[in-house]
Amino acid sequence: MAMAGGYQRNAPGDGEFSRMQMRDVKVCLLGDSGVGKSSIVMRFVTGTYRPALESTIGASFMSKSLIVDGTGYRFQIWDTAGQEKFRSLAPMYYRGAAAAVIVYDVTRPHTYKSVKGWIQELRSFGPQDIVIAIAGNKCDLEDLREVTEKEAQEYASSIGAIFGETSAMTAVNVEEMFTALARQLPPEEVTSHTGSTINLRRQASKQDPKKKRSCCGGGGGGSPSGQGSLSHGAEPSRRQGNRLA
Amino acid sequence: MEEEAEPPHEKHCDEELQSPTVLPWDRFSNWIHCCCVVTFDLELGQAMELIYPSHIKLTDKEKMNICYLSFPDSNSGCMGDTQFHFRIRQCPGRKAAVKAHNSYNRDCPVTLQSETAFYYGFVYFRQTKDRSIRRGYFQKSVVLISKLPFVALFSQLVSIVAPEYFDNGEPSLEAACHDIDQWPTPVPGDTLNLPIMGTVIQVRIPCRSDKVTGSTQKAPGTHTIPAHTILPSLHEVDIYSAFQSILPHVQLLWELVLIGEPVVVMAASPSVTSACVQALVNMIAPLRYCNDFRPYFTIHDSEFKEFTTRTQAPPPVILGVTNPFFAKTLQHWPHIIRIGEMGGFGSSPKALNKLKKAASLKTLDSKPGVYTQFKTFLSKDKMILKRLMKGATLKRPVEAQNAILRRHFLEMTQSFMIPLERYMASLMPLQRNISPHKGPPRLRPFDADEFLHTVEHSGPQLTSGIKGDWEGLYRRFFKCPNFEGWYYQRQREVNQKLQVLHMDALSNSNLTEWIEDKEEVEIVDLILRIKEKLKFASNNHTVVQGESVERLQKHLATIVQALPDDLQTVIKT
Repeated sequence: MAMAGGYQRNAPGDGEFSRMQMRDVKVCLLGDSGVGKSSIVMRFVTGTYRPALESTIGASFMSKSLIVDGTGYRFQIWDTAGQEKFRSLAPMYYRGAAAAVIVYDVTRPHTYKSVKGWIQELRSFGPQDIVIAIAGNKCDLEDLREVTEKEAQEYASSIGAIFGETSAMTAVNVEEMFTALARQLPPEEVTSHTGSTINLRRQASKQDPKKKRSCCGGGGGGSPSGQGSLSHGAEPSRRQGNRLA
Repeated sequence: MEEEAEPPHEKHCDEELQSPTVLPWDRFSNWIHCCCVVTFDLELGQAMELIYPSHIKLTDKEKMNICYLSFPDSNSGCMGDTQFHFRIRQCPGRKAAVKAHNSYNRDCPVTLQSETAFYYGFVYFRQTKDRSIRRGYFQKSVVLISKLPFVALFSQLVSIVAPEYFDNGEPSLEAACHDIDQWPTPVPGDTLNLPIMGTVIQVRIPCRSDKVTGSTQKAPGTHTIPAHTILPSLHEVDIYSAFQSILPHVQLLWELVLIGEPVVVMAASPSVTSACVQALVNMIAPLRYCNDFRPYFTIHDSEFKEFTTRTQAPPPVILGVTNPFFAKTLQHWPHIIRIGEMGGFGSSPKALNKLKKAASLKTLDSKPGVYTQFKTFLSKDKMILKRLMKGATLKRPVEAQNAILRRHFLEMTQSFMIPLERYMASLMPLQRNISPHKGPPRLRPFDADEFLHTVEHSGPQLTSGIKGDWEGLYRRFFKCPNFEGWYYQRQREVNQKLQVLHMDALSNSNLTEWIEDKEEVEIVDLILRIKEKLKFASNNHTVVQGESVERLQKHLATIVQALPDDLQTVIKT
């Protein structure tokens, strides 16, 4: 069964969550090597932190359930490898994803520069309605900081991404970020009762990721106007400058 | 915001993440031995380009067989992507089986047990025009090597992994193998979520205690993550499509497979032969097919001479071949299945209904059909054919046709096996013959004539409407490895059960009282017996009750205490 967009209802009789409707959300983590993607996932999923995790190969898969505003979300998380040799595999992991977290390291400016490249790639080849969060990780290392919060915050606002500085070590903002992602997901469309009404967004997101979408034109850096042509026209304000609490 | 722990029944791929006992590649080897890339080299022919993970060793002979079997034998008509599978002999003298397979083999259906002396290879072959290559063609295969007969799962898996490899090269293979190295252990009865390259495959591992119904088991609603692909079965192949052009003969084929006759399947492509051979082997489930079989076999295979020699009768194997050379080499074989293009139902009606003399088969271009002089023991069940024909004209989905066909074979096999199972049960010693002070009772030996005597009044006629010479079929069956395999399996199970009952009897008896008037020799004898039982218990801990073990250990301690000191030290060492 193809699952684009990441909404699929849970089969009944599903243990503890049987009474609750669960929304399944495929999330991928992207970003340079060593910025702390795996540490963020480990913090979120197991509540633990280990310094110097070994380098991820390809991607790691984990799942974690959260209840946000009375709705159950089941994140299936693909934590991708940051190493350059795995770079070309990224489309496999963001294909069909409902959300992406792009992680950089606040102490290493070049990892922040890479964020823009990921945004461009996602805007061009990723699912149309993918919700994006930018995480400035290792914010506990204040004395080594090289990327200001303000700069990253302004950039995130300009492209309508969720933003927050995180620390996998101290757990700052990690869970909050996934909560914010959950809140930002487009409303779930009910396809089962409407019969012939087929969700256009889901079809659109199935397009070949290798083909550049025309609506994005050459828009680098995520211009807000390009943003408007994505299917969120009805609620563009919701996507502007979402800051973590 | 509340946070909820995952339900405990979820099979987490990361549940063993922190376990220090799981080494890298341990979980990978629970599923797959290795992943190979085979390429065409102008100087060398087929060549092994890559084995992943790189520490896996294959012998030169294994490598050579994998190389030849990973490419279509005759290249015509294999442009684009082709998928099929093969089976090769493992070279002897190698590392023992994977540890996790011991408990898996005990609880899975016997037809799904991991191979002890064979490997399966699941191939995804790509051939495209490419002017940048001297030969003008890009020709490469990705092959998954495994000891597990999970044909449906691994075919699906290689169809995900291989195209990514062709696009992105070695890192994608590394990523795929790393994903597999996160997979949970295959535990019979579990529904597993298997993440692979950005998607999740969900599949249930069948269990020996499953009710066998013929219809594919519906996965219970225990899945907790959305699977992109829900596989209805781990191992079942599309038998309806595989047999489509020879449907009128399926019952004959069932008999041939049951009694372990040599059969060769000839077709133009390894996809067709491997599907057909696998369908044949699966036909007699839940009985395990115990002879050798090769879903795809080439003239370069190391067993080529052994299988094609004319100095002996054809070996009792099932072969799938595509090379026209075999039409001549194997024309003396007693049963030849020729499958043409997998066209619509009844595309060549004449060929469908006649059995042919093997001698009339000269080339691979001969008409589709079954070439044999075999006379079936049972009369033909015309109902099943009618139902399938009707289904075909109504354009019934292949899945439904498959379910009908599978159910039919299952009922045939069960009708055949139930009398045997019943007779086997009658060979069990009586409960009252189990004494703690004698050795465990043994099963009475199997007596074919005694069994056949029972068939007269309680044979397959009780559960099957099919008439014919069932007795003759049994007699042939008794001479073939399928019977032997079944019998040894049952014998093992029964003897294990008797051991457990005997152990319970021993642990429940009042041994302290019993030793009071016994000679030292007898007491030592008893101690040794208890020790032997405890050893059995530790080897079979899943079937033994913990209480019995505890009681036995207590008995042992008490009895040893009662011995003189010098003897105690001897016993304890």
